[in-house]
Amino acid sequence: MTTPSAAPSPPAQRERLSADDEFDAAPPFDLLAFPVIGPLLRWRHSRTLLQIPLFAISVVMIVEGFFGPTLSPKNPATVLTWVHFRGALVLAILLAGNLFCLACPFMLVRNGMRRWVHPRFTWPRALRNKWIPVALFVLILFCYELFGLWSSPWLTAWVIVGYFAAVLIIDGLFTHAAFCKYVCPIGQFNFIAAAVSPLEVSVREPEVCLDCGTKDCIRGRRQHPSTLVVLQRGCELALFQPAKFGNMDCTFCLDCVHACPHDNVGILSRLPAGELMSDPQRSGIGRFSRRYDIAALAVVFCFGALMNAFGMVSPVYTVESWLKRTFHFHSQAGALGILFAAVIVIEPAVLLGLAALLTRAWGGVKRSWLAIAVRYAYALSPLGFGMWLAHYGYHFFTGLYTIVPVTQNLFAAMGWPILGEPRWTLVGLPKTVVEPLEFGFLLLGLFGSLLVAWRLAQDDSENRPLRAFIPWGTLCALLFLCCVWLIMQPMDMRATLGAG
Amino acid sequence: MTLKFKRASSSSRPWRASHILGALLALATPAFAVLGCHQPAGASPGITIEESIAPQPVRTAEETISIRLADPAHQPVTGARIQVEGDMDHPGMAPLFADAHEVAPGRYTAPLHFTMPGDWVVLLHITLAGGQRIERQDPVRGVQPN
Repeated sequence: MTTPSAAPSPPAQRERLSADDEFDAAPPFDLLAFPVIGPLLRWRHSRTLLQIPLFAISVVMIVEGFFGPTLSPKNPATVLTWVHFRGALVLAILLAGNLFCLACPFMLVRNGMRRWVHPRFTWPRALRNKWIPVALFVLILFCYELFGLWSSPWLTAWVIVGYFAAVLIIDGLFTHAAFCKYVCPIGQFNFIAAAVSPLEVSVREPEVCLDCGTKDCIRGRRQHPSTLVVLQRGCELALFQPAKFGNMDCTFCLDCVHACPHDNVGILSRLPAGELMSDPQRSGIGRFSRRYDIAALAVVFCFGALMNAFGMVSPVYTVESWLKRTFHFHSQAGALGILFAAVIVIEPAVLLGLAALLTRAWGGVKRSWLAIAVRYAYALSPLGFGMWLAHYGYHFFTGLYTIVPVTQNLFAAMGWPILGEPRWTLVGLPKTVVEPLEFGFLLLGLFGSLLVAWRLAQDDSENRPLRAFIPWGTLCALLFLCCVWLIMQPMDMRATLGAG
Repeated sequence: MTLKFKRASSSSRPWRASHILGALLALATPAFAVLGCHQPAGASPGITIEESIAPQPVRTAEETISIRLADPAHQPVTGARIQVEGDMDHPGMAPLFADAHEVAPGRYTAPLHFTMPGDWVVLLHITLAGGQRIERQDPVRGVQPN
């Protein structure tokens, strides 16, 4: 695999310009030009301002997770993490962009640490890919099911503490944003999900960048060009704005916005999932079709959504019981491990491999089956995101108001009942309202995946695009039906998996 | 070429702050771990509480929660007010509430209709005739679909 290069090339810029022309006939909407929000985001300390409340909430969650109510529905750590945070995150990505990374509380602590601690090492070249975060992503999903993280404020608090510790250790040792780019599983989830976001940090006028001699958006703005003192850092994730394409690896930190001397970087509207429909050279990433690790992330993102939802419905216990009997497992980890391997590794390998072989045979695509599978794997991201939205959106909306009694209880427990007695009967929106939303999210995801697959098929097989498309369209339809079946199952949440 | 940040280069006491922060973290982490493991479930003034659910196995249907209260002399505790609360152990789900009635001296029952399969927790909010309050929390694992 080639190492991603941050340096732009004229062909990349031309490709970007042509892609922009194709998808954006009208001038894009720029969030930074929007009243109130625009000036706020342009303010140099806007990110810190957004991070401070999230950091304060994180501290409350840690303290309450360790010392608060042991019952999960009454503890802010579990309620905020597993009901509100996850739902708000995916809804923000759907409606705007990667806003969680923008307000990431871990980075507030890390930036504070870096005032005193100066990392000395560069991230090892062999690890400059997404394999570690993909593995961590799967590990978190696995631990979530195995230990029933949702039911334990104590374990939830440990997850948050562990995250802070990992950030401090990794970014204390390694330069730039090593943790964000090469480790953080939440970040990778956000990056791949943000492919369907309507907003992207992007240059306003590409021609302005062609004449730019300082490249402050990536190098940082200096006190004087000849000095090494940086007043405003550039992109820590090696994304050079003129050659940046899409939301992959973009944390919305807005360092490039603040660094650009020409005020030429904005938060612009674009076609959601449009970045998946072509395969340009991307700054800091390279071509998607050559990044097996990011394709694996897209696959895990999609099939992990199915697995995560499957772990919450009744049939999973029947399957696990059968696995335990068949393989004579005494612990739950074995049965769950086989289930994860089947859903996240074997199933996608078989389905994508088969679809790729059919595309090659029917569509006349002159690539290896593996190259085809990697190329089209990204088309599954919108459907995967639809499933995450349906799942997390369900918990978010049906438990929307639960934060009210939990907060009342928090103040009452501190001997300061200013919000009154906890009203535990406050829960959320009725299922009759939320269930249609779930179907809507899934349909949106299916539509996005079909559109991406169709555009890729058109590029791959000019004469027979339908033949190249049919295997992937069928795969998307099959996965959609699986998603629909899953959300129609009765919910059955057991932290004690052995009970089944 | 190494870039330097203006703010960072001006600090003259980097090691002290980082070491203090590290020491605090090192001290706080085991304290959290130990203290977090020992949550008091509610003080009981010598009252014995026996709780049972029927019929078994517990299903998503109306179940009867039976509670027996006895004092240290094994005499039934009468006149208590008991509110029964059922919570799923996943946050964000609707809780269930029911008031228990005294059906015999020291024996109380309450109907509870479990609405969803999965793991539940039953909470007893007990107020004794003398005004003392007792909280009790019991898991109900693997409620099965009806």
